[in-house]
Amino acid sequence: MLENPDVIDASNLDPTFKYDISTQLGGENIKRCFQCGTCVASCPIWTIDEGFNPRKIIRMALLGMKEEVLSSEFIWFCSRCYACYEQCPQDVRITELMGAIASIAEREEKDGNIKIRSTKPILDKAFVNSIRKYGRNFETETIISGVLATKGIKGLLSYVSDGFAMLRKRKLGFRPEKVKELGQIGGIFEALEEK
Amino acid sequence: MNLAYTFAYYPGCYLHASAGEYDMSTMAVCELLGIQLIELDDWNCCGALEASNPLTLSLSARNLALAEKEGLDILAPCSICFNNLSRANNAVRGGGRTKTIINKATGENYQGEVEVRHLLDVIVNDIGLDNISNAVKVPLEGLRSVPYYGCLTIRPSDVSKFEDPEIPRSLDDIIEALGADCLQFKHKKDCCGGNLLLSSEDFSLQITKEILSEAKELGADCVTVACPLCHAMLDYQQSKIESKYDIVIDLPILYFTQLMGLALGLREKELGLNKNFVSTVKLRRR
Repeated sequence: MLENPDVIDASNLDPTFKYDISTQLGGENIKRCFQCGTCVASCPIWTIDEGFNPRKIIRMALLGMKEEVLSSEFIWFCSRCYACYEQCPQDVRITELMGAIASIAEREEKDGNIKIRSTKPILDKAFVNSIRKYGRNFETETIISGVLATKGIKGLLSYVSDGFAMLRKRKLGFRPEKVKELGQIGGIFEALEEK
Repeated sequence: MNLAYTFAYYPGCYLHASAGEYDMSTMAVCELLGIQLIELDDWNCCGALEASNPLTLSLSARNLALAEKEGLDILAPCSICFNNLSRANNAVRGGGRTKTIINKATGENYQGEVEVRHLLDVIVNDIGLDNISNAVKVPLEGLRSVPYYGCLTIRPSDVSKFEDPEIPRSLDDIIEALGADCLQFKHKKDCCGGNLLLSSEDFSLQITKEILSEAKELGADCVTVACPLCHAMLDYQQSKIESKYDIVIDLPILYFTQLMGLALGLREKELGLNKNFVSTVKLRRR
């Protein structure tokens, strides 16, 4: 047991974590990172909250701090602006990499290994469910089910005036648009789940 | 039918819902400029910012396969759709394992023959600024606008290949071609934070506040955008930002197609100007 909590205990590291990431779609280039910090300098989220530090997340992942990385709320703060991706001199493709790490976190949570500390994946799931059901996003249902799942009834009520504003402008519909070949959409989901 | 300007139109989910004015103004402007849009039959959602990578690429590739069968290139006005469809195209063209995963998932045999074009690219580079200037009926003289590109219209440059990611010009050039003044805007390439609106609202609103504040300080009459998520943040969330930070912004946010439509003499109704949350009446009365 280490006395200083800031010291990394090497016996708890998982050196295979980086290989797990690099076999995910989007995570291929993680090992190229040489820690220059250009990503941090270009990150709009870091300017608001220094806790979201892409360089640090990558370093932790390379070291094998699997549990810390996957259960960190910061991996869900990426806004997907591609500013770091564009600037990175090593072509680490950080935006895609963050997506790959997020996918691993979802898998590990499903397996009961970690607990995700963000509502982002639940909101995303509401959207993805809509695609699975209709082939297109049915905004009205997506927003209602996402907010309900993450903020409860009280949270949903706080969006009522927003919802009416959208309805008045005829920006939300009452019926979903459906793809004709829904079987093919379902097939995409099934094929990727089998993998 | 002039095939040079005929595209499979991919509106995407936002344009059929909360971004209806972008859909309307796109179709109106394209018709006037001789761009023929044939809506891609049975298109599906691209996966937006919410689906994970393999799913997004596969969902997007189904649309590419549909367009390939029709022998048409895709035109997408939404920058999120444009990004996803283009990434899927790059992935298929790159071949290898990813192409196999994608084509196995869709059950299609997409070969990467389709070009994915952003509406902004087609208007600036195919139609051209001279033709736009020549089509202007009501020059927007005295109108001051800032161009806001945001992220996915211009980044990453290996996906969005029509713009300079550091010094984008297309919206600037359109604003000027319409006779308006284009103001230098430091936040033009910054992120609006829209992807985090529901999960980290404070972040999103703060980022967007900075963008709107600069535009306001510059004395702009409107912000010109090319993405429905940017528009939702700058327009729909504007009143929330005003009350949260106790500031007054009151700045109309126009899709570039709405701005073009005003100068090209299209009717307000065709451009959906009444659907914008921040009133565009002041602009229309100019």
